[in-house]
Amino acid sequence: MATMMQEFTKGLWKEIPPFRLVLGLCPVLAVTNSAENGLGMGAAVIFVLTLSNVIISLVRKIIPKKVRIVGFIAIAASLVVTVEMLMQAFAYPLYQQLGIFVPLIVVNCIILGRAEGFASKNPPHMALADGLGMGIGFTISLTFIGSIRESLGAGTLFGVDLFGPSFEPFTFMVQAPGAFISLGLILAGMNFFTAWQAKRNGVELDPNFDAGCRGCAACKGLEKIVNQKKLERLESAKS
Amino acid sequence: MDIFLLFISAIFVNNIILAQYLGLCPYLGCSKEKSVSIGMGCAVTFVMFMATLLTYLMQKNVLIPFNLGYLQTIAFILVIASLVQFVEMFLKKMVPPLYKSLGIFLPLITTNCAVLGVAIMVHRKELDITTSLLFSVASGLGFILAIVVMASIRERFEISRIPRAMKGVPIGLVMAGIMSLAFMAFKGMI
Amino acid sequence: MMEILRMVVVLSLITGLSGFILSTIKVATDPIIEVQVLANVQGPALKQVLMQATNDPIADRKQLTLPGTEQEVLVFPSMKDGKLQAVAIEGAGPGYGGDVNVIVGFDVSADTVLGISVTTHKETPGLGTRIQENAFTKQFRSKDPAKATLKKDGGDIDAISGVTVSSVAVTDAVKQAAGWYAALKDTIKTTW
Repeated sequence: MATMMQEFTKGLWKEIPPFRLVLGLCPVLAVTNSAENGLGMGAAVIFVLTLSNVIISLVRKIIPKKVRIVGFIAIAASLVVTVEMLMQAFAYPLYQQLGIFVPLIVVNCIILGRAEGFASKNPPHMALADGLGMGIGFTISLTFIGSIRESLGAGTLFGVDLFGPSFEPFTFMVQAPGAFISLGLILAGMNFFTAWQAKRNGVELDPNFDAGCRGCAACKGLEKIVNQKKLERLESAKS
Repeated sequence: MDIFLLFISAIFVNNIILAQYLGLCPYLGCSKEKSVSIGMGCAVTFVMFMATLLTYLMQKNVLIPFNLGYLQTIAFILVIASLVQFVEMFLKKMVPPLYKSLGIFLPLITTNCAVLGVAIMVHRKELDITTSLLFSVASGLGFILAIVVMASIRERFEISRIPRAMKGVPIGLVMAGIMSLAFMAFKGMI
Repeated sequence: MMEILRMVVVLSLITGLSGFILSTIKVATDPIIEVQVLANVQGPALKQVLMQATNDPIADRKQLTLPGTEQEVLVFPSMKDGKLQAVAIEGAGPGYGGDVNVIVGFDVSADTVLGISVTTHKETPGLGTRIQENAFTKQFRSKDPAKATLKKDGGDIDAISGVTVSSVAVTDAVKQAAGWYAALKDTIKTTW
């Protein structure tokens, strides 16, 4: 029970996506122009992530290793289509707002990342805790970014006016540049906080503490290639 | 003229990364080295073109006639996954030199939202086949443009002094924000 | 060989099962989705056009078949005190970026256009989108459908300057809806 709790809570702070585990950035930036959209997207991701984690964990021993990724994608895609239909039936305005990013949940690395990294190696109840924790963490992050961008960019929060008529909205925040810059600054803040905390507790800081896309299975192989190319470039520059 | 406008707007005004927020993972992950970024950009453009072609035919010839439009997402992602697998095998057997330079990027592309995004977008925009294919190529070029510019800037970062907390992804995102601000100026063109 | 067989069986099982579940959900949600789409896409326009309605035009909608053809047209009735006052029909006309869809309301007793409202369009933002403005759409109020064309085509409507293509698209959509209304007039009167 204690470990299940651990798996659940790690998604809420220690490995909160996308701040600590940089996964699935596209919807993080695209749908957070208001807090409500962030919350709605988060809810859809909780649904897909929790169910896909549980189902994949249940079938993890049946699926042959060679075709596991395709199997995972098929399961995740079916869940996404389910969400699409449920959203159209019960939350149509939200569906219109999120637009193309609802079907794109299927390629969100958070789904495949957790499937490959956790659900395919752990029993269903653990996978449930992990999926729920990660999903809720993701929702909190999206709502947080959405609140910042909406309050500064439109002067409202969940549609409620915050600052009164004299406030001149900072429109840049609800557009693309604001999204990139706010997420960049939040990540920097997270890194700064981790470093400060380690220093205060007198713990040796992990040299790789800063957020990166290492959480994404796909990017892991890439790191090697990048480092190798870098060495090649430096070598040729020397000679 | 319309097609030209569509082309320009897909590259600059509605740049797939900087205005539509698609394909951010490879954008941040592969933009540390210029040579890597060019390889990734070309692989994405190629797969995007092929995927748009195949999914377009699938939508028009299978999904719509059989009234299966609601299965679009699942059908497209499976087509893209098998396409990537197939291209990888083909290049390995037939064109080894190309495989050596592009092959490593191919598995990463299956889960690249830009590819699926463009395939779905052409149907939401109700484009015809020629325009769809042009749109996919233009989006790919926009991707290459954004990622190569970003990689050139990030190579400079290595010799500049950046605060510890900003290193890596955070400064990359802030840079992307500034670039996106610059690209917003293209809006006046259309 | 066994391994390949296993792969094929497992993958077919997964896809088959998910296909079955999805089609079940599809059948269950289809009617709800249809109402939702109408309420959110056509709903606001219907409210503008059929201001007097005391009923719910979307709930009372009916598919009517055009006489002599097999084409079906969706008609939204507007009742007042249980009596049919007006109907709304959605027409489409080719614009600059794609079809412009317009909800057109018809007064049943006078056979005039009650009002129009643009539902969906893909026109250029800031330019073609001006067809949605009240200044343009109010010109159609209480017009004889025959006169609801641009002045250059012999009608009464002023095109928005510089936005002729989109303005024509709107009048084309009105013309299409008016044609359907004329063909269905007798059916409409007996339906509600």
